[in-house]
Amino acid sequence: MTNLRAFAVSLCGDRERADDLVQETLFKAWNHLDSFREGTNLKAWLFTILRNTYFSERRKRRREVEDADGSYAATLATHPEQHGHMEMQDFRAALTKLPDDQREALILVGAAGFSYEEAAEISGCAVGTIKSRVNRARNRLGEMLGMDETTEPEPGITKSA
Amino acid sequence: MTQATSGQARQGASLSIEEGLSPNLQAHIGRHLRAVFDEVAREPIPDRLLQLLKDLERSGDK
Repeated sequence: MTNLRAFAVSLCGDRERADDLVQETLFKAWNHLDSFREGTNLKAWLFTILRNTYFSERRKRRREVEDADGSYAATLATHPEQHGHMEMQDFRAALTKLPDDQREALILVGAAGFSYEEAAEISGCAVGTIKSRVNRARNRLGEMLGMDETTEPEPGITKSA
Repeated sequence: MTQATSGQARQGASLSIEEGLSPNLQAHIGRHLRAVFDEVAREPIPDRLLQLLKDLERSGDK
């Protein structure tokens, strides 16, 4: 349950909305318990319901509001509860700038502890798609955070003329 | 009308994408990612969600 909520927050970037998502997920899961097969992965099932709910809402919302991405990224970047050092803030901000599908894949595999196969099942796509999304997500993050193969990240040091 | 194929169409091309970042940088990103995730996972479950679980449980008692 705490992992499900953490997934929701990392996905949508907003605790209020994440809690709504978790609430809706629990409702749906409860109402569709008969479609859950014993012996299958309950955690993966709940994650599937949550991400499907999130993405279908997001599609609806995008039709209504053009600038869904921009406004959403802004709310996350300025969340008052989020502190910590600069590097983490930069990382959070960069994470929000990833395309939804890449962020989802990266979180499922890199933080929520799912295998590529499980993540593919949750996202309803091929394992190869998940792998390439994760790769692209990592590359994008590396770019945005100014990491490259030759230089170690050195926060605070800027070499502007 | 059907947009379901766009993901599959992209897949063929993206599979050939190079592996990219070095293991070091991948690990670096991995650590940050887990830190962001675990920070939320460590927070207590909000009351309204706990209440919902209780309500659902109660409604399930036959």
